[in-house]
Amino acid sequence: MAYSIVVLVKQVPDLNAVRVDKASGKPLLGDQLVLGAADAIAVEAALQLKEAHGGEVTVVSAGPPSVKDALQRALAMGADRALLAPIDQANALDTLALSRVLAGVLSGLTFDILITGQNSDDYESGQVPAQVAELLGLPQVSWVTKLVAVDGGLAIERDTEDGKQQVIAATPVVIMAADGLNEPRYPSLKGIMAAKKKPLETVEVAAVSATTDITWSDPAAPQKPPAGIIVQDKPAAEAVAELVAWLRTKNLA
Amino acid sequence: MSNGILIIAESHEGALRPASLELVTAGLAAKAAVGGSLTALLPGSNVAGPATELAGLGVDTVKVAEDPKLSAFTTDAWAAAVEAAVKALDPRVVIFAGTTSGRDLAPRLAARFGAPSAANVIAIGGSSDTIVATRPVLGGRVQTDVSLGGSLAFLSAGPGAFEKAVSTGVTAPVEALAVDLSGVSERVRVTGLAAADSGGSSSLASAEVVVAGGRGLKEPANFALVEELAGKLGGAVAASRAVVDAGWRSHHEQIGQTGKTVSPKLYIAVGISGAVQHNVGMQGSEAIVAINRDPDAPIFKIASFGIVGDLFEIVPELNRQLS
Ligand SMILES: Cc1cc2nc3c(=O)[nH]c(=O)nc-3n(C[C@H](O)[C@H](O)[C@H](O)COP(=O)(O)OP(=O)(O)OC[C@H]3O[C@@H](n4cnc5c(N)ncnc54)[C@H](O)[C@@H]3O)c2cc1C
Repeated sequence: MAYSIVVLVKQVPDLNAVRVDKASGKPLLGDQLVLGAADAIAVEAALQLKEAHGGEVTVVSAGPPSVKDALQRALAMGADRALLAPIDQANALDTLALSRVLAGVLSGLTFDILITGQNSDDYESGQVPAQVAELLGLPQVSWVTKLVAVDGGLAIERDTEDGKQQVIAATPVVIMAADGLNEPRYPSLKGIMAAKKKPLETVEVAAVSATTDITWSDPAAPQKPPAGIIVQDKPAAEAVAELVAWLRTKNLA
Repeated sequence: MSNGILIIAESHEGALRPASLELVTAGLAAKAAVGGSLTALLPGSNVAGPATELAGLGVDTVKVAEDPKLSAFTTDAWAAAVEAAVKALDPRVVIFAGTTSGRDLAPRLAARFGAPSAANVIAIGGSSDTIVATRPVLGGRVQTDVSLGGSLAFLSAGPGAFEKAVSTGVTAPVEALAVDLSGVSERVRVTGLAAADSGGSSSLASAEVVVAGGRGLKEPANFALVEELAGKLGGAVAASRAVVDAGWRSHHEQIGQTGKTVSPKLYIAVGISGAVQHNVGMQGSEAIVAINRDPDAPIFKIASFGIVGDLFEIVPELNRQLS
């Protein structure tokens, strides 16, 4: 059976480049914007299903025009088409308002499987997939680490505190891709060239506004100083000598 | 007028989950800020034992929702049970445990009720008008305070963020809450559970020294550095989830929420960022040493001794100086 698959992705700051400003405690995000790590896993999962069973993969993202880069990346990996839901600042909306925007876009599409990353690298709340699923009246399966198409649906393993829970899900269904589901491919040169010719459309979205009574402060480092000894800006030999001395006073080495 | 706190507890094989003990403490923090009474809902089947345990932890009431459909977790059945409880009790705030199921349910219920929500919260304060929930973002380097107004809000606790509640000597009443799950469809059907692999390096649980490596090691071969250090200290080797998922190390060695919990005399984290899900498995260690090149890595917040630097310089030097 060929699958029509939609993947929700988010463009995020490169987490490796994030630093915290000492004086203000505010995060410095760097200029690099990337496709979210879990979202790349979601795209890869969609591509693997398509390669095994046929079908079509559409990637959808909400955000400012820069989000096209993240969508291009997914197209270069092998997705067939991309839809951009234009909103100025995805992070300025609460997750339910954003989910309403995305559910509006998705209700205009027909699909068997909606795959998302388990959570974004920046705000990490992991709320949008479940909220979109609820708004669309679809079942959800979270923390997915194995996904195989079988007769009558998808055979899935999901992470729990007790081990891997195994479930069979009928389609249509929302799948949240977790670390460990796969290793996302790097786009090939050919893929990058091909992506330029693939359709990337901007869709219309209804006026967006916060829909629940929620606000949040600008992220900042906790005021609490580190509890222990931190050795910084010292040559390795010196830093290690201090550590070894400390370990010895504690009878740990 | 909505009032009070509702926490959604979880049990497994006849015992409360450790995360449920932390959840009670989160509930007590919310009660102190918001007021009203603290009710714990325990969905499941055959959960009389854990319900009694829950009743002794300082909650005001335990409500038990029993149904065969709640024995294994599915979003649809559990969401229906929580929905029924919210409608019956009209709480100001509903708090889920810091588990994979808690994280799964909280946003879904928030969407169902059109209410604000915050995930993975590590502190709860504010007042009944505006609940303030603190949560880590950007890899735990920074945090944000989320203010939730309105008359209903949903939160999930961060794993390990709240102390485990202990028995108070007072027993709260345990009451049944009728839930009708006949309409819940089985569009997601549970077929089994492959239990977490508890075998393998059994030395890990009893080791006095544990040396753990993470993604900062760059490639599997570099784990030799960690193995050498563990050898020098007579310790066991462990790993973060990132490297287990990448297939560098076996799941036996994974420390954290979905791995093992250890509390050795000394835990050395090499190239591990210190995500809450990792820390929950090792923060009970007597001494924690962190080696990481990112001064803002959250691991330094819990380290007894931290070196900010390149592990490829620090660890070989440490191995030398320990010889
Ligand atoms: C439900 C759930 C359950 C989870 N369960 C677990 C669990 O059981 N256990 C677990 O570990 N995680 C778990 N996680 C994942 C967790 O959130 C983190 O993603 C994971 O712990 C990160 O692993 P890491 O620290 O090795 O990698 P990263 O977060 O990528 O950190 C690598 C670190 O290495 C440092 N580094 C890089 N190069 C160098 C260098 N040359 N020298 C020094 N330092 C360097 C970097 O600064 C960085 O801090 C879970 C997540 C979820 C959502």
